[in-house]
Amino acid sequence: METVLSVTNAVKTFGGNKALDNVGIALRKGEWLGLLGPNGAGKTTLIRAIAGRVALDSGTITKTEMPGIVPQEIALYPKLTAAENLRCFGQLMNLRGRLLQERVDWALEFTGLADRAGDLVVTFSGGMKRRLNIACSVLHRPSVVLLDEPTVGVDPQSRQRIWEMLDRLRNEGASLLLTTHQLDEAQQICDRIVVIDHGRVIADGTLDELVRDTIGPGRRVWLTLESGGSIEGHIRDIAADLSALLGRAASTGAAIVDVRVESPTLQAVFIHLTGRELRD
Amino acid sequence: MIPTIMKISLINLSRDKVAFMMTFVLPVIFFSIFAMIFGATDTGARDNKIKVIVADREQTEVSRRFIATLKKQKVLDVAAATDESAARKQVHDGKFPVAVVILQGFSGEFGNFGSTRESVELLYDAANPIAQNAVGGLLQAAAMMAAPDILIEKGFSSMESLGAGLTPQQHRALETVKPYMRGDAASPGGRDAAEGMLRIRATDVRAGESPPEQHSMIAYYAAGIGVMFLLFSMAGAGGAFLDETESGTLERLLTTNATMSQVLIAKWLFLLLAGLMQVTLMFLWATFAFHLELFTPARLSGFAAMAVTTAAGAAAFGLVLAAACKTRAQLGGVSTIVILIMSALGGSMVPRFIMPKFMNTTALFTFNGWALDGFLKVFWYGESTATVAQTLTSLLPQLAVLSALAAVFLAVARVLARRWETV
Repeated sequence: METVLSVTNAVKTFGGNKALDNVGIALRKGEWLGLLGPNGAGKTTLIRAIAGRVALDSGTITKTEMPGIVPQEIALYPKLTAAENLRCFGQLMNLRGRLLQERVDWALEFTGLADRAGDLVVTFSGGMKRRLNIACSVLHRPSVVLLDEPTVGVDPQSRQRIWEMLDRLRNEGASLLLTTHQLDEAQQICDRIVVIDHGRVIADGTLDELVRDTIGPGRRVWLTLESGGSIEGHIRDIAADLSALLGRAASTGAAIVDVRVESPTLQAVFIHLTGRELRD
Repeated sequence: MIPTIMKISLINLSRDKVAFMMTFVLPVIFFSIFAMIFGATDTGARDNKIKVIVADREQTEVSRRFIATLKKQKVLDVAAATDESAARKQVHDGKFPVAVVILQGFSGEFGNFGSTRESVELLYDAANPIAQNAVGGLLQAAAMMAAPDILIEKGFSSMESLGAGLTPQQHRALETVKPYMRGDAASPGGRDAAEGMLRIRATDVRAGESPPEQHSMIAYYAAGIGVMFLLFSMAGAGGAFLDETESGTLERLLTTNATMSQVLIAKWLFLLLAGLMQVTLMFLWATFAFHLELFTPARLSGFAAMAVTTAAGAAAFGLVLAAACKTRAQLGGVSTIVILIMSALGGSMVPRFIMPKFMNTTALFTFNGWALDGFLKVFWYGESTATVAQTLTSLLPQLAVLSALAAVFLAVARVLARRWETV
C-alpha cells in the first residue's frame, strides 16, 4: 500500500533529554494509525515534527503535502463566530472565493454547526469547539490529517460524533494519524497501532499482532459460583479450553451461575509494554 | 487558620516578582520622581533652576551689574541672548520659559522710586505661570542687590531736590558708605525692600495668537495623556499575542502558510492603525471640545507625521513587551511599571518645563519624551503661520528617533518571538 507519510530515524533532544530516539513510522494511504504512549513519551513532539514545528536533530520526514493538523488545544478565536473562524483559517490555507465558501459550508455541515454558524465560539460547549477545531484543520482537504488527542475533555456523545466525523474523512480518502489516551476507542477504530515510550517505538502492528507479540492470545475467565465464591483461570484456546474449565468446575460439585471471558485488550497490551509506573 | 491563609498570600506575593515590584518598588520610584520634580530633595533644589535668557539693550555698567546679580540668584539659570528678538524666539520656541529684556533708559530709571516708565520687559509663555511669577519677583530682589550704592545716591538726590541739600560732611559720609554698599549688597532685608522697585512690563510672547495659554496646555495634555494611554493600549493589545500563544491559535497560524515574520508584521500594522485612530480621536476631541487649532495645513501635516510615527513606535513597543513576557498577567504588571515610569519621566504627567534640568535630559531616554516634544513642536511652539515644510523639517529629529525606536522594537520583538518558532 502506498505510503503517504514516513518518519525515519528521527532524533530530537531537548536539554539533554531525548524526546525522540531514532523513531521511524509510516502512514499508509487511507490508513487510520493510532500513536499511543504515556505522557511525555514523545507523541506530541513527533506530531509537531511532522507539522514542521519541531526541527529534528537528525532523521528524515517524507510527506507528499502539508498535513492537516488538529492541535490538542482549542485553537480557535473565541470572539469570532464559527463561520468567521472557518473563513479565516481557510484563507490562511490559501482558499479563496467560491471554493472557500463551499468549504466553509461543508465544514458547518460536517460539524453539525450550520445552525450556529453566526454564533461566537465563546458561547459553544466543549464538544462543539472540538468539532470546529477539527474542521478548521481539514478545510483544505488534506490527504493526511494529524490529530493530537482530538477527543480530550468531551462527553461520550460528542466523542462519538467526533469519531464519526473522522471516519467520514477516512471514507473520503484521508489518512489519519492520531494520538489518544482513549485506548478502548483506539482499539476499535485504528487499523494499526504504534506504541512509543521514552522517545522510542516499542511496538508497531495491528491489535492482533500486538496481542500476539505481548500478552498472547489467551483469555482470562471468571466463573461465579452459586455459593458466592469465584474461580479465575487463563485459557489459551477458547474453543478447547473453556469447556474443559467448566467441566472441571462442575466436577467439584460447584454450581456455576455466571461466566465472564475477557478478550485481550489494548489496555492490557499497553500496560504490558509501558509498565505501571506513573509518568508525570 | 488565619496565619496559614496569610502565609499562603505572603508566599504568593514573594514569588510573583511583578506584583512585588508593583507593591513595594513602584510606589517608591514614583515618589522619588515627583519629589525630584518638585525639588523636595537636595538634588532637586540644586537642579530645579528656572532657565532665563537675558537681552541687554542698554549695555551700561548698571545694567551689567544687574545681570551679574541676576546670575548669582541660586534658583535662576541665566543665559545671554544676542538681542531682544533672539530672546523672544527662544521663549516662543520653548527653549526658555522666560526672557528678561533690559530696556533703554534702565540706568536712568533704576532706583527712581517715583518712575512710571518700565525699565525691564519680561517675555513669558503664558502656559508656564510658575516661571513668569517667580522671575518677576526675583528681578525685584536682584535690583535691590545689584547696585545699592546707586540706590542710596538716588535716594539722597531725591531728598535734596525735595528738601534741604546735604552738608559737605554728610556728602563725605555718603561717599564713604557707597563702596561698602557695592561690595556687600546682599543684606537679608533687601528682598522685601526691593518689592516693586523696578517697573516691569510683562509681555506674553504668544499675544495675538488665538487663545494662547489655553491652547498650549490643551496641546500639552492632549499629547501627554494621549501618548501615555497609547502606550497602555498598545501593550494591552500586544497581549493578544500571548493569548494566542496560550490558546494555541499562534501554533495553528504557524502551521498554515503564515510565517512568524508575517504574523508579527500583521499584528504591528493592526496595532499601528488602532493607535493612529486613538491619537487622532484624542486630538479631534481636543479640537472640537477645547478649540485646539488643528486644521491648518502645517499643523495637520505635522500632526499626521507625528501620529503615524508615534503609533508605529508604540505598536512596536507593545509587541516587544508582549514578546518579552511569558503570560498576560506578567505583561500587565511589567507594562504598568515601565509605562508609568516613562510617562512620569517623559512629561506625560507633569510638564517638562517645571522639571529639573537633569530630569529633562532623562526624558530624552523615554518614548514619551520624544513623542511629546514632537507634538508640542506642532501645537505649542510651532508658529501658526509656519509652512508645511517648516513644520515637518522642525520635526525631523523626533520623527527620526521615533522611527528608529519603532525599528529597534520590531527587531527585538522578532528576535524574542523566535521562542515560538520551530524549536
